[in-house]
Amino acid sequence: MSDVLVELQHVGVAFNARRRVNESRFWALEDVSLTLRRGERLGVIGRNGAGKSTLLRVIAGILAPDRGRVQRGPVSCQLLSLALGFVPHLSGRDNAVLSGLMLGLRRRDIVARLDAIREFSELGDFFGQPIAAYSAGMTMRLAFSVALQVEPDVLLIDEVLAVGDTEFQRKSGAALRARMREGHTVVLVSHNEPQIAALCDRVLWIEHGRSVREGSRDEVFAAYHKDLQPAGATA
Amino acid sequence: MHQHLIELVLFSTYAELRAEHARSYLGFLWWVLEPALMMLTFWLVFDIILHSGGPGYVPSLLIGLTFWQWMKSCMTHGGYAIWGNLPLVRQVRLTPLVFPLSAMLADTVKFFCIFALLLAILWTAGYPPNRTYLALLPLFAAVFLFAAGVGFVIAAVVPLLPDLRFVIEQLLTVVMFLSGVVFSLSSVPSPWRELMALNPVAVIMDAARGILMHGQWPNWVGLSKVGLISVAVCLIGASVVLRLAPRYPKLAT
Repeated sequence: MSDVLVELQHVGVAFNARRRVNESRFWALEDVSLTLRRGERLGVIGRNGAGKSTLLRVIAGILAPDRGRVQRGPVSCQLLSLALGFVPHLSGRDNAVLSGLMLGLRRRDIVARLDAIREFSELGDFFGQPIAAYSAGMTMRLAFSVALQVEPDVLLIDEVLAVGDTEFQRKSGAALRARMREGHTVVLVSHNEPQIAALCDRVLWIEHGRSVREGSRDEVFAAYHKDLQPAGATA
Repeated sequence: MHQHLIELVLFSTYAELRAEHARSYLGFLWWVLEPALMMLTFWLVFDIILHSGGPGYVPSLLIGLTFWQWMKSCMTHGGYAIWGNLPLVRQVRLTPLVFPLSAMLADTVKFFCIFALLLAILWTAGYPPNRTYLALLPLFAAVFLFAAGVGFVIAAVVPLLPDLRFVIEQLLTVVMFLSGVVFSLSSVPSPWRELMALNPVAVIMDAARGILMHGQWPNWVGLSKVGLISVAVCLIGASVVLRLAPRYPKLAT
């Protein structure tokens, strides 16, 4: 039983839509259940607004459920967040340290990895410059290189699998896929079905904040496509 | 876990100061120039125009404003820190106390720069250093704890009720005038004087002026009470923040 890292039972999460007195809440997640075991690579599929990103934030422990139960073992669950806490007037180096600390790394660990971050991001002398002077692509390269240093027990990925120009996309995508294949426990949210098919062994399908099906990749994809077909026929 | 949070708070403080320095042409100079300009305004109005001062009014005013600015900035910057960092709160699992704490520490660093300038002014104006300076240490601790406590309470509530920000600024101005920041309590008629002396900020102002201008040891009983109240407010504020923490990531922008 100890290889169950996270378990969600009938979890619901509600948000306040606007800041108004007596504003009603809406349920982004209504009733989702899942079991995540060590070493598993779980893909989450569903249409836009199904609650996939909210689900990841529940697993990460950022959002507490308003109903249902979340059981999490003594493990770190980290959302792969890019440019977390980046400050425009700080240098790439300082931002790497700040972002790494926010992602849960100890300072000595980030400092030890600064050379690797600098090298992977291909920033060269710009690494010591304020990121306000960076192009959007350079900032994303730095952000990805920092995020890649974090090695939580459970890595949560929301769509971001590769960033930057074509060359860096290839490199960053390969690095992340290598990470996923190293036996890490991963939850991946993506619209890209081939990507989920290639990287995940199990799939959870959610719709309107509810779990529809959880199981092996092929079984869930088959049911998902069957459900999509009538909608496609009438469109 | 705790060491990681300490590292995060300290580095965030450094980042905040560094970014603030980089945002303006004069950088660090503004840390001293801004309060100096405010002091100049009060001195012009109360001493030069209204002649409400008297001997020792200017140093007394400078001391009051220096300490008040520190407290006020901790309360407001710390108080608005969780609200200002809501986008971050939605992305990462962190105790929200990190944000007010690093804002308050950044203000404390700035305060010590201004305090060094204040000491230089006092020494040249004929108020030399004296052995009661030793009492500055517990005084600083009491001021920080009090400001941090109030800051935590504000920080806990503002994300839920951002409209409070408009009231807090006005409320703090009233507190400033009721605390003997710009005038000494001795110039206030009875029974208002006794009533105002119950205010912890007024006790702090009195102690600071006594030490820096007259070489007087502070009223330890009064200062201890302020210390105890501050610790209590700090604990209450921090626990309210922690209690409300699960609600912050769900708030609308």
